[in-house]
Amino acid sequence: MESNYLLAPKANHGFICKIPMKGTRQVYVVNGHIQGNEGGPLALSFPKGECDDTMLQVIFVRTTGESGKISGICMSCAPSEKADDGGAIELDTASSIEFGEDCSKKLLLCSHTFTPDRFLTRERCEINVRRGANADITVMQNENNRSVHLTDYTINMEEGSALKMIFISLHGGKISNKLKVNLNGEHIDCNLKGLCLADGEQHMDTEVLMEHYKPNCNSNQLFKYILDDKAIADFYGLIRVAQDAQKTNAYQANHNLLISDYAKVHTKPQLEIYADDVKCSHGATVGRLNEDELFYMRSRGISLHEAQLLQQKAFANGVLEGISSRELRLRMESLVDSRLRGEFSSCRNCSKNCC
Amino acid sequence: MLTINNLHASVGDKEILKGVNLEINPGEVHAIMGPNGSGKSTLSAVIAGRDTYAVTEGSITFEGQDLLKMKPEERSWLGIFLGFQYPTEIPGVSNVNFMKAAINEQRKHKNLPPLGPAEFLKLMRAKMAYVEMDSSFSSRGVNVGFSGGEKKRNEIFQMAMLEPRLAILDETDSGLDVDALRIVGNGVNKLRTKENSMIVITHYERLLDYIVPNFIHVFHDGRIIKTAGRELALDIEKRGYDWIIEESGSKNGK
Repeated sequence: MESNYLLAPKANHGFICKIPMKGTRQVYVVNGHIQGNEGGPLALSFPKGECDDTMLQVIFVRTTGESGKISGICMSCAPSEKADDGGAIELDTASSIEFGEDCSKKLLLCSHTFTPDRFLTRERCEINVRRGANADITVMQNENNRSVHLTDYTINMEEGSALKMIFISLHGGKISNKLKVNLNGEHIDCNLKGLCLADGEQHMDTEVLMEHYKPNCNSNQLFKYILDDKAIADFYGLIRVAQDAQKTNAYQANHNLLISDYAKVHTKPQLEIYADDVKCSHGATVGRLNEDELFYMRSRGISLHEAQLLQQKAFANGVLEGISSRELRLRMESLVDSRLRGEFSSCRNCSKNCC
Repeated sequence: MLTINNLHASVGDKEILKGVNLEINPGEVHAIMGPNGSGKSTLSAVIAGRDTYAVTEGSITFEGQDLLKMKPEERSWLGIFLGFQYPTEIPGVSNVNFMKAAINEQRKHKNLPPLGPAEFLKLMRAKMAYVEMDSSFSSRGVNVGFSGGEKKRNEIFQMAMLEPRLAILDETDSGLDVDALRIVGNGVNKLRTKENSMIVITHYERLLDYIVPNFIHVFHDGRIIKTAGRELALDIEKRGYDWIIEESGSKNGK
């Protein structure tokens, strides 16, 4: 399928995403079907050598509203009891994204729910980054807090390619991102970052298997969680360096900030190294807000609540600063800000306003 | 302005302040000197509201209000400022965002609207000049990667921004070279008015050449054991503390 999607006019009635920057093209995928096109699942292909700085935004939507029309119903406000009766509304879907040889493209993948139903989405996503290609992907996940979205990513990278992929997970009952990254050639640069903000009874789950098969590749992982209330997070990360993969540089870090006494994180960073000339490190931290910093800020008149927010934003910055588009970064910073302030969960900030 | 009456404070089972009495009037500068570990920094932390210390007895009132009932930020809104001996580093929070948050909360509690970005930057630039701080500091993380001297300058810069009624400077001069001491000393001096007061905690007489105090208190074992005028600092510089401790010990009949 060609990459030249047009803004799908029919899908645009109840909702306009405010995130896109100048020049961004939008694709709506409603309940697994592309709108305004032949209606199949997402199959993107960026042609060989195509380089530009504009962004393509794919908006993945689950809804029980009228087909094709997205209504701006609250995505995070309390669901009605009735919606519980029918059980989860399931969807299995597969998508593929291909970055052709030597192309350089920016992609923004958003996933939302537009009705407060209990959705269960199982998604398989295959991403191929061909020889010399440069892929820049930002994933924004913001669904209602009863929704379950499980994604299995298989990422295949070829010689001399680069990938930067940043996950921002805000709302969602359970969001699970499992990534298997195959570094199939030499001189590959793979950079994965993730920021999860969870409260209530949200469950965030990240699994990364980074496979270094060939020499001279770099991989870098940074996943950060801020967990409040009874939120739970799992991080499972494994870097596997094959015998052949000499001169590998591989790093992995998972840092967690627990705001409440009831939030939990299970973290399991791992290394498996079969080569003997590599630089690898991994680490995980679980911490609380820093009392010295809080007192310092409060002594300047910053209220406790605001000081806690500043600290959480500083923590989140480590991931957000990796977003290469300035406009998108600023937009994400303000989303994270309002998410941390809890402004998202009120009705006036339903889907029409939040993004 | 500030009245401390029979103040006792401890950490865990250890009593650190053992009955401090101190009265500070508008416009006065009080220097507190004394050997290491005598409780000077604890006193400043207790005034600012650090909850690591438990106040077991006594009172602190500021302009008639009971300070001990207030949160650290509420004390700041009243006009109390603590210049830290070891300023805290806050990675990820830039100096400019930190100050903006502080200034606008202060204004909120004075029923003033937040400062616009242009006004704020203008104010920030003017106050940075007080302590000859380079403008590049504003975008850096609060105290992150600052040298000892830069951290202390940053404290005085914050003081200049907040214009406190009562500033407590806890060893602001320690670790400063001669030039930095001059810059910090002059910076503080420019902020001195007839209405606001200062408590200057120091080990050295030289800072008091810049910030001339009305009183010098000698702290020992959790209380003030001697109060005198400016000239006491010179005596201490020459003779140390032992003679004062002995003098007070005999007076107390120890």
